[in-house]
Amino acid sequence: MRKLKAALLSFAHVHASSYARVLKELENVDFVAIWDDNEARGKKAEEQYKVRYYRSLEDLFKLNRDLDFVIIASENAKHYELVKYSLENDVHVLVEKPFTTRLDHADELIRLSRNKGRYVGVCFVMRYHSAVLQAKGMVDKGEIGELVSITTTNHGTCPYKAAHWFVEPELSYGARIPLKPGDGRFRGGSVTDHTVHCADLLRWITGSEAYEVFAEVGENIRGDLEVEDNALILIKFRNGVQASIDCSWSRPEGVYPTWGDVNLYILGTGGVIELESFNQQISLASWTRGKLEYIYWGPDVDFIMIGDFAEAITSDREPRATAFDGRQASEIMLAAYESISTGKPVRLPLT
Amino acid sequence: MSEKVGVGVVGSGFMGTTHANAWRRVPYVNYLALCETLPQRLEKAKEIAFKLNAKLYTDYDKMLEDSNIHIVDICLPTPLHKTFAIKAMEAGKHVLLEKPIALRLKDAREIIDAAKKHGVKFMVAHVLRFFPEYARAKYLVEVGAIGEPRIARAYRYSSFPAWSVKGWYGEHRLSGGVLVDLAIHDYDFLRWVFMDEVDRVCALAPPPEKKVIKEITAVDHGIVLIKFRKGGIAYVMASWSYPQGYPFSTYLEIVGTKGILHVDNKSTAPLGVAKPNSYERQQVYPEDPYYLEILHFAEHVVKGVPLRVTAEDAYKALEIALAALKSALEGGAPVNLPLKEEVIP
Repeated sequence: MRKLKAALLSFAHVHASSYARVLKELENVDFVAIWDDNEARGKKAEEQYKVRYYRSLEDLFKLNRDLDFVIIASENAKHYELVKYSLENDVHVLVEKPFTTRLDHADELIRLSRNKGRYVGVCFVMRYHSAVLQAKGMVDKGEIGELVSITTTNHGTCPYKAAHWFVEPELSYGARIPLKPGDGRFRGGSVTDHTVHCADLLRWITGSEAYEVFAEVGENIRGDLEVEDNALILIKFRNGVQASIDCSWSRPEGVYPTWGDVNLYILGTGGVIELESFNQQISLASWTRGKLEYIYWGPDVDFIMIGDFAEAITSDREPRATAFDGRQASEIMLAAYESISTGKPVRLPLT
Repeated sequence: MSEKVGVGVVGSGFMGTTHANAWRRVPYVNYLALCETLPQRLEKAKEIAFKLNAKLYTDYDKMLEDSNIHIVDICLPTPLHKTFAIKAMEAGKHVLLEKPIALRLKDAREIIDAAKKHGVKFMVAHVLRFFPEYARAKYLVEVGAIGEPRIARAYRYSSFPAWSVKGWYGEHRLSGGVLVDLAIHDYDFLRWVFMDEVDRVCALAPPPEKKVIKEITAVDHGIVLIKFRKGGIAYVMASWSYPQGYPFSTYLEIVGTKGILHVDNKSTAPLGVAKPNSYERQQVYPEDPYYLEILHFAEHVVKGVPLRVTAEDAYKALEIALAALKSALEGGAPVNLPLKEEVIP
């Protein structure tokens, strides 16, 4: 069978190096090109992965006519342009979350993807975690009865020391929009980064859409940020399930033994499922490193996700998390911002 | 050797079924057979064979005559290991054998010698080396994350399966009890991590009148101190004596000159499931460790990938196990290795 040719667009996101590793590891994929608008970063990647770096995106597509798909791991604000340009060049696209920070952008890309007959997948990597799959399977089989309420967390350290754009409103959110009246902060922090994984899992597990969102933001944990670094979100789903998301960057970077968590506590009429996805760790404390660390040994979700995306292309089917899923998760994120801004519950769909 | 192999699994108990299921998924396998010689298990075995599209044998010798079979996987009670393994080797079959290799050192040596004599591949199924968290712990030690290992603790404990009270596990002479059958996982793993041989073992087990499970003759709980030659030490606790309903649990910590690592299957289980009057934590492995073990042996046979568990590893693990049992039976007298005599006659 023909190998799929793939390119990685931008190493801005902290997940990019893992995606590059997977593109090298997958047996049915040829990792042929790298693009990055940061030349130093692109050249460094070229050297590390032995894959040609292109300074011009136009050249990349022109010189790789047989490219099958790209993975986009840029700053959030650049997703729209990069997805659009890639689709216009007739390749399939796997894009980092959040899909977009504007719904009109999402809608346009969904239309373009249909018109071009090219798939757009969103990196909702949790859909590939074996424990998540097991939990979803149990819910689907009715093993805990009817769903009632789901508490979720996607805690994290703040990634700004590895990639500062995560806390720059223009790059993380695409605009400088004040968080709420009388607050010096702007949209584009932990709500942008961390709402969508849980939002997506909630939609996937409940099989329902959100119809009302309420969110609170606290004063920042870190003193030096322009964007929010914490927030709590309540969601009502159309099928009656009530849910919450804690999307806070509430784990101290450099000190906390791991990057964070994705936890779901699912209450049904017949039982409870506690899902602590990243518990599969060895705890390691060493004098050399000067702290306690958790060494992850669970499923290689990036590998499984990208492998599945390649498989989706080969067998001409939608990826597990589609552009529409990306849009719907972004809508919950945007509704949370709206609620933070107005102090009131926000009805979906957003207009 | 060709890229495809045929496999015959012997025994349709829990382990035989687990192995047969795993073999079915191995890409190199083009033929699967299951052998069950006990009439009372035949119905169940038929069902499993049907599900897995495996040929069913009720006569082991007949299965060994089947030229489609290159590998025989023996999942039988320990006392049967020697006869079944050597017969398969004599028939020119490669052998995967459940742990422990045997209950007597002499038997273990005869099996190893037979594999050499007949030029077949042989591995004992010390599956712990294929559990991702234990394999990662070994890797971390190997890359120096905690420096030189100095002291380790390993626990492995559960309730005694009620269905097994009349089974062979409970018989001292058939299984060797918890210090042999269960704790051997950790002895083998610790030897692997310390990359050293055991110098001395000292163990305690409750005497018959103090046993939690009085119905069985086997040791049902034991604690073991192990001293390695280069100065490392380790503690092993193994138990079948926890209350009924207590989940199977394991714990490992290794302290080295530069740090410490912990592996705790309770705190690392990603799933908890609560229903009325029950709560359990579930480990969800990215890949079934039994499959990884079996795939490894298949790759050893087909491609010559070096064995992760050598025959000598299996022999040494048994020796540590027997030393622990001997020490416990003698009321905690330290026992030096190598062992000079058999412990289970």
